[in-house]
Amino acid sequence: MMVNEEHKAEKFKVPVHLALGHEAIAVAVDRIMDQNDSLVLSHRNIAYNLARLGKLKPVMDEYFLKPGGLAGGRLGSMNLSNPSKGIIYSSSILGNNFSVASGLALGKQIVSSGGLTIVLGGDGSIEEGSFYESLLILRSLNLSCFVVIEDNDWSLATQVKERRSKIDLFSCSGSLGIKYAHLEGNDPIGYIEELSRLKRISLEDKAPVCIEVKVSTLGDWTGPKSTEHPDGKFINYHAGPSPSASLSAWPILKENKEDPIFVLKKYFKESELKDFAKAELNKLRSEIYHEICRAYK
Amino acid sequence: MKYVEHINKVIRERIAGHSNLVLFGQNISAGSCISGLTKDLSVKGNSRIINSTNSENSLCGLGFGLMMGGASAVFFMKQLDFLTLGIDHLVNTYNIIRNMPEYYPGSFTIMPVIMDHGYQGAQSSFNNFSDICSMARVPGFAVTNKTDAEKIISAHMVSPGFRIIGVSQRLFNEELIVPDKCVFASEGGELFQYSDGQGATIICFNFSYPYGYALLRELGNNGIRASLFNVNALTPIDWEPVKQNVIKTKRIILIDDSKSQNLSAYALLADLYNIKLDKKIVITRKISDNWLNPVSDEMRIDNEKIIRELKNK
Repeated sequence: MMVNEEHKAEKFKVPVHLALGHEAIAVAVDRIMDQNDSLVLSHRNIAYNLARLGKLKPVMDEYFLKPGGLAGGRLGSMNLSNPSKGIIYSSSILGNNFSVASGLALGKQIVSSGGLTIVLGGDGSIEEGSFYESLLILRSLNLSCFVVIEDNDWSLATQVKERRSKIDLFSCSGSLGIKYAHLEGNDPIGYIEELSRLKRISLEDKAPVCIEVKVSTLGDWTGPKSTEHPDGKFINYHAGPSPSASLSAWPILKENKEDPIFVLKKYFKESELKDFAKAELNKLRSEIYHEICRAYK
Repeated sequence: MKYVEHINKVIRERIAGHSNLVLFGQNISAGSCISGLTKDLSVKGNSRIINSTNSENSLCGLGFGLMMGGASAVFFMKQLDFLTLGIDHLVNTYNIIRNMPEYYPGSFTIMPVIMDHGYQGAQSSFNNFSDICSMARVPGFAVTNKTDAEKIISAHMVSPGFRIIGVSQRLFNEELIVPDKCVFASEGGELFQYSDGQGATIICFNFSYPYGYALLRELGNNGIRASLFNVNALTPIDWEPVKQNVIKTKRIILIDDSKSQNLSAYALLADLYNIKLDKKIVITRKISDNWLNPVSDEMRIDNEKIIRELKNK
């Protein structure tokens, strides 16, 4: 949300793709990763980079292309990776990263490093031919890999139903003999348990697993007015800031399971969550604005 | 020895004993093994030879992924035109690797066969190797004879980094050209000089070296001792050895058999703009040439006409 505020203020030159609402799966992936595991991300990588790093400032500095940024200002947002934390590659090209992940997975067998390769895509990326090609390669070569597909229903300004017929990933995976799993509900504890179970299977069987995760990218904006949409079209934001999301001491955007913060009420009292959020916000503000404050002293 | 037999031999020598290696491509250890190019390859330990799926785009990504993970990969590709399916990785994935080389220690080589022997019809006759390499400034090397095959494959295949090494289908079953000598070879195998004469400077591009080699011999038979260069790398190179030679001969013959509108030969011509020339002969393909029907892909070069032009100072 702090990144969103900077985004709304048009402070970034690089195109930042926010992922409010994607935190539960990102946290779960982070928690099941071991030292030899590799993560391959897409342009919408912010939640995973933050989860793996556990800090905001190096990521924010990278968005500002500062030398002190996570990648020294050399990668910006859409390609942001962090090899020291197992994020080997992030691609801004839809579907481009699946095959690279298959090479990384094969490489683990060749150099005997072991470990699981995890690749992230969205519901738009599975429309690319490389998605099918890569599933075929992963299965044919018996490679341990998670193919995580975040289905947020949107690609830029169109919903799935506006642009294509339904893709049944269960059947698609099944046709290639690939195990399929479906996650939804944004419960990070449940996700961790399920991903841990699937990881054991993938490593023991030397087999890929296709994991479809239902997510809601929270926040939105309204498009320009047109004949078809006299009041402007509601668009789930994708490539810019979310005007409807505002920074507050209580960072909940939806009072239902689409919001991972709401789901945490299952484990914590609301007052506890509010205290956590307030403390975290103060910590991050101090971290992010320390330089600015120092400059004005 | 045939051209393809020699290249196969050099590849086998290069990969022998190399560890953490993956050789892949369609039918590379089955059937004709890409007309003999990949015949009898063998690897040791964890290394693998994979008869792959027909998924050129993703196989390019597979190679880059192997490279990122620290392995060495070689993708043998049946036809250069298949590589157009993998251009995404050349212009996108490769940029990440060369931007952060410290994180990606492995090796990746794509070895496509340039379909320049003709009789394929309207499709499968794409020979613009320089275009593929030029669009993202990918290191690319054309292999045309015994000398450059040994130098380029030994220096680059399974070495750290990425490159494309192209071989010519037209030459596969031709007798291997063994140059009499090598006057000059750049360190990375980008530029070779095979003859040093005062009569003219012949410079060959793409896979036109055999035409230049034949012309050199014809000129010699007619009392004209020429210099012969072959430009193997298709990304910017140091033209100085060529320039110095042209200053001496003042007569150049450029041969470029690529079907591209934008020829590497033109890059050299632009660099030579301030050198006064007595004779400039540029031999390229014309759009009027018939390459859409199943015909021979040979360039027709009138050596006798060139000799007459050079003799008529």
